[in-house]
Amino acid sequence: MSESKMNLDGQDVTFQEGETVLEVARRLGTFVPTLCWDERLEPFGSCRLCVVEVEGHRMPASSCTLGAAEGMVVRTGSDKLRKMQSTLVEMVLSENPGDECPRCRDLGSCEVHDLATEFKVGRNRFLGATSNASMDDSNPFLLRDYDRCISCYRCVRICDEVEADHAITMTGRGWNKGIATAFDGLLMGSDCTLCGQCIYTCPTGALADKKMVNQGSVPGEIEVTRSVCPYCGTGCSINLHSRDGKMIGVTPVLGGPVNAGALCVKGQFGFDFVNSDDRLTRPLIRKQGKLTPVSWNEALDYTASRLKSIKADHGPKAFYAIASGRAPGESAYMLQKFTRAVMNSNQIDNCSRG
Amino acid sequence: MKTGIEVKDPVTDGILDRLMEQPAPFLEVLHAIQDHHGYLPEPALRQVAERFKIPISDLYGTVTFYHYFQLEPKPIPDIRICENSACCLHDLDAISREVVDVDLGVAHSGQVEKISCPGRCDMPVPILIGEKFFHGARAGAVENMTAATMPLPPETGLEECLFRDIRDGIDTLAGALSHGAWESPKLAASDPQEVLAQMNESGLTGRGGAGFPTGVKWEAVRSETRGPKYIICNADESEVGCFKDRLLMAHSPHAMLEGMACAGLVTGAKIGIVYLRWEYPEILESLQVAIDEATQAGLLGDDVCGTGRPFRIVIRRGAGAYICGEETSLLNSLEGKHPFPREKPPFPTTHGLFDLPTVVNNVETFCAVPAILEKGGAWFQALGLGENAGTRVFSVSGDISHPGNYEVPVGTSLRELLQTYAGGTPDGKAIQGVTMAGISGGFVGAADLDVALDPGSLTELGAMLGAGGIIVHDETRCMIQAARESMHFLAQESCGKCFPCRIGTVRVTELLDELIEHSAGNPVIRDNPLEELADLEEVLGETSACGLGLAAPFITRTMKKYWPDVVQDYIDGQSAKNPGKGDSVE
Amino acid sequence: MLCVGTNMTECHPIIAVRVKKAVRKGAKLYVVDPRKIPLTQYATGHLPLKLGSDVALFNAMANVIIQEGLADLDYIENRTEGFEQLKDHLVPFTPEYAEGVTGVPADLIRECAIAYGSAERAGIYYTLGITEHICGVSNVQSLCNLALITGNLGKSSAGVNPLRGQNNIQGAGDCGALPNNYPGFQAVDDPASQLKFEKAYGVPMDPKNGITKIAALDHAVDGRVKSMWIVGENTLVTDPDVKHTTKALEALDFLVVQDMFLTDTAEKADVIFPAAAFTEVDGFFTNSDRRVQRLRQAAVPPGEAKADWWIIAEVAKRMESGVHFDYSSSEEVFDELASLSPIYAGLNYDRIESGDLAWPVPHLDHPGTPVLHEDEFVNGKGKLQLLEYVPPSENPDDEYPYYLTTGRRLPTYHTNTMTGRSSGFRILVPNEWLEVHPADAEKLKLEDGDWAKIRSRRGEVMTRVTVTKTSPRGTMFMSFAFPEETMTNDITNPDVDPITETPEFKVAAVEVTRIESPTGFAAEPALRASPGRDH
Repeated sequence: MSESKMNLDGQDVTFQEGETVLEVARRLGTFVPTLCWDERLEPFGSCRLCVVEVEGHRMPASSCTLGAAEGMVVRTGSDKLRKMQSTLVEMVLSENPGDECPRCRDLGSCEVHDLATEFKVGRNRFLGATSNASMDDSNPFLLRDYDRCISCYRCVRICDEVEADHAITMTGRGWNKGIATAFDGLLMGSDCTLCGQCIYTCPTGALADKKMVNQGSVPGEIEVTRSVCPYCGTGCSINLHSRDGKMIGVTPVLGGPVNAGALCVKGQFGFDFVNSDDRLTRPLIRKQGKLTPVSWNEALDYTASRLKSIKADHGPKAFYAIASGRAPGESAYMLQKFTRAVMNSNQIDNCSRG
Repeated sequence: MKTGIEVKDPVTDGILDRLMEQPAPFLEVLHAIQDHHGYLPEPALRQVAERFKIPISDLYGTVTFYHYFQLEPKPIPDIRICENSACCLHDLDAISREVVDVDLGVAHSGQVEKISCPGRCDMPVPILIGEKFFHGARAGAVENMTAATMPLPPETGLEECLFRDIRDGIDTLAGALSHGAWESPKLAASDPQEVLAQMNESGLTGRGGAGFPTGVKWEAVRSETRGPKYIICNADESEVGCFKDRLLMAHSPHAMLEGMACAGLVTGAKIGIVYLRWEYPEILESLQVAIDEATQAGLLGDDVCGTGRPFRIVIRRGAGAYICGEETSLLNSLEGKHPFPREKPPFPTTHGLFDLPTVVNNVETFCAVPAILEKGGAWFQALGLGENAGTRVFSVSGDISHPGNYEVPVGTSLRELLQTYAGGTPDGKAIQGVTMAGISGGFVGAADLDVALDPGSLTELGAMLGAGGIIVHDETRCMIQAARESMHFLAQESCGKCFPCRIGTVRVTELLDELIEHSAGNPVIRDNPLEELADLEEVLGETSACGLGLAAPFITRTMKKYWPDVVQDYIDGQSAKNPGKGDSVE
Repeated sequence: MLCVGTNMTECHPIIAVRVKKAVRKGAKLYVVDPRKIPLTQYATGHLPLKLGSDVALFNAMANVIIQEGLADLDYIENRTEGFEQLKDHLVPFTPEYAEGVTGVPADLIRECAIAYGSAERAGIYYTLGITEHICGVSNVQSLCNLALITGNLGKSSAGVNPLRGQNNIQGAGDCGALPNNYPGFQAVDDPASQLKFEKAYGVPMDPKNGITKIAALDHAVDGRVKSMWIVGENTLVTDPDVKHTTKALEALDFLVVQDMFLTDTAEKADVIFPAAAFTEVDGFFTNSDRRVQRLRQAAVPPGEAKADWWIIAEVAKRMESGVHFDYSSSEEVFDELASLSPIYAGLNYDRIESGDLAWPVPHLDHPGTPVLHEDEFVNGKGKLQLLEYVPPSENPDDEYPYYLTTGRRLPTYHTNTMTGRSSGFRILVPNEWLEVHPADAEKLKLEDGDWAKIRSRRGEVMTRVTVTKTSPRGTMFMSFAFPEETMTNDITNPDVDPITETPEFKVAAVEVTRIESPTGFAAEPALRASPGRDH
């Protein structure tokens, strides 16, 4: 790849062919506000917050759609740009109701409110009509509160570009725009697979994870741990969100090597079986026909002694082990080692045969 | 949950089979379905989505973008009445009340719906029922429907280009041929370089408003190696106050078709598409006749004018969307995409229709080509006054004696156009101000009526010449209301993609509404309306993604420039001493 | 792309994303599946073959490719053997013959073969729709023949790609949980490998292959297997012919089950170990494209639940075998695995941090192997197989006039132990249902929401009905996600492929009759909703 130079805020910087000015600026840690941008999506250029001044251009340009070019001289964050960005944030705030957003309340801030804080502006000017398009969607996972929608269409674009589901679309025009499924139905019954990825690109509380939001205001920091999805064999990278040692949600790893920031309904929402009330919490031994809770020591000793005597009485081949195709590899490895080295046979299989 | 038992519409399948191999068939397929069923039924749209390989959700979204695609059956049509700047100078409320009871010979539901400008400002107020237009409705005289008028011959005796034979029946092929039409394609085929040289010498620039040199555009497309290339005639004239293309297409269709054919032969394109606004159904009919006649006569088709080269022209109808007059929106619209404007660059000359090199020119631009090639680029250039090249057509409406279209030399003064050509105001009232570019070019106030009608002079005044629509407001009009109507149109027609335009046009409209209401004794909510307005103007004018939003501040900035006292009076709630207050002067 | 027997949008949605995107970019997609699955709406062509007729179809395609001169003769010469014999063998497999067997129009077979044969890179993707047949191995080999004669093995965006159904089913095999392989697919009957593991573990190795799980259940019934240790599998529900499996488990002297939940299988156990969930342990999963990826602990196990490796080690220590089982972390277990498995030799927890490496990774500096067989096959030349079409072991007859095939639905995973316990999923799919073609429904007087009894030679189940063109005429579809209500595998076919012993879950002959709604079930509508359109 060829490397070229441009000038950003007075510094000569190098860029790769195909990089946009926004990408160059972000890479160098320069603050350029955005609302319609997501690294997984094609540049869209609708929020206009990322405007920069380009030498030789009459008008500011949106840096997300502006390809870096050799010798280009770009300035971000002049007073004039900051003022316009600040006005734009105020305009965005004016579109939405002024009440507290459930997502900000339960999960910290959203991108819009982060920018409001950054520019030290509130919902005070440009007041007028509001979006007023809230939608009661009976699905179990996705909260659709379009009162808070700012029409960045990230949800539509992630549904198209990342998930290729094309379930939702932009409807209407101008102020009377909206987000809808084909023929404006509920998500369930549309092409929506409830993968929930629209939620995690939404920069406001217009879309939220009903599971996460329903946790309410629980104290404690949210910890994020990278892991792998437990469902099919695709191997999507996921972030586990936990609070006080308990799982509260999942998000895709944006640069996950397989999924590149995508997830399906199971990976996204099918995590809370781990919190299920009917998890086994103690070892059990069948006593007088009844499964009875016992200590680990008792369960382990009992198992060891029974297996020992079966091997002694009936030989190694009287034992059989079935490893799990869902448990970690270490589980399968240990079970085969146990079977081969302790029970002295190759009487082991996994569930790939059904 | 659907049971998966599919209902197929055989009519739609027939339409798809018939049209799919046609150039850019998307809009025509939808219109054909709607023409048949009266609306777009869901199963039909699913079939369209499947055939075009467009996700059904996206197709649905795209359909909802347009005013005139309907998703529900509506056996008896509503009455639609234009609400925009020229028409709202009349008493729309009274007309709306009265029209319900007038027998127009067409069944209607009795419901009255306001619509965006259908390009008939010279015959206010137009009424649309189904696909039939009635004109000239006035309060107390709704049944008095006038017909479109032919442009008046220039009183000044100046030489015309576009209108030169227009009063002599050149709307038929025979009439056009008797005035020397369809000669230029031979030159275009045999010596394209000569054509480009003449075009460049003529100084002809895009008459849609952007003003890009036509010869340069053609040359750029000609030099592209990719193909197939397309010639698109932008006949989506949709701005309030603009109706020149309607007239040219009605009375001089062959000049336009001939101009398109020349462009095709010069650039190597074999297909021409006229993107015609839906609101011109009579033009659809007459233009199709002109195309068919020209094709049958061998002037279009496989062997254009005996040159051995093919060029055919099809009409594609829009469906009610001002933004589709923006050339990249127009391209998306033709392709069946959501008609948002595209990011530029790349420009259509390299990445146009279906990403292929494309010429997009306005109706008037194409219409000028045959005369330029007949009489020479220098001739056209010399028609202009001073440094200016050529003539152009202005649509004049509002408080004017002779509303209509006028071809004048570029550089003619605004006052001369209004007084000498259009007869001044009907009752001798003073002109308070006029809108420019239709409405998006802002205002020129009485003090500057001597401004020369060329792009540079208007820019100097803080206004914009644009596509040459002018709506006259006499001294009794409220110019704050006029600004509000202009901004309201832009807000109605904003595509909704970029934030500054989507939010800004609505907020400016609301702000002006608030001032107007304040004059009626309501409190002003805003602490500092002028500061808010200035901030909105700045963001609109510098960060919007296309011309619609970028132009919006012309309106309020010129309003403040010419009528600062009026604005201040409205802020102070003292409007009573000012004219108009939004009342009609019927 | 040729997608065969894979309901990808429902079972591997994220892989389906790539397929859908490729289609949007202009790639051709042919879907081979008896059902009109959602993927077909993206397809250039859908080949709705009769259940189990795969070999006839792919042989015919190979025949067309050769006849049309689309075979890659250089590749065949350099990298395969048996081409001349294959050519002769395929002569009778004309598209017209295949049409008779598969029900797919001959012209469509030709079109698909030509599209596959003329593509510069053509990938085949398959899942259990290919393997869960008595002829599963032949099915796969018939696909390999296609790839071999067109030179589509050993380059990217091509190949013959099985999509694994479970997160770590690949990893479980990699780790040696197979009766014939040590970790890293080192053969149990290979003396060098035996020696290696004897040295590593310090005890003698059994030189003979073990038996498969399917055989083990038979051995349990006849008393040869007395004890089983089942980790994280609901064997009772997932295996065909539940009655037989129940009998097997009940015949055992001692059954250990290690799981997160009290599954139907666990109910039969003598000892149950509470296992930690994937969110509560460190470890690794290996996915379909052999990518070894790290999972990390984010939450605390409930009660006294423990990591699998710890439980097994603790039992082993108490067996006093003298074998080393003294591990302090899962990482130590992984390091031991890597030291014994050449394909993992270059891996450790640091190297699998971001999941970029696909095995084989023979040493620490190795960049991984995203494409297998690039230069040569492990066993030298690719052997073209001469395959015969073998009909399914059960076919419709007067008594059992319909085919039944089984699979998953997007919102329900496997036996629903995970999805069913995650809130919301039961709203998406509240219960099992039988998918019936409208013509069959008419004949059977079934309507949406009716109940039906489905009977096979092994048993019967009841469920609700939905009428849909997704299923072809004469073929019904069910999942196995609601065992508590509808034990689908009570009626599936336990006959197995002779080589892999994988049962023919995909084909059973059944009788279907309408019944009155049974009592004890809520008056639930058959389908409240299901995400994903039914096409």
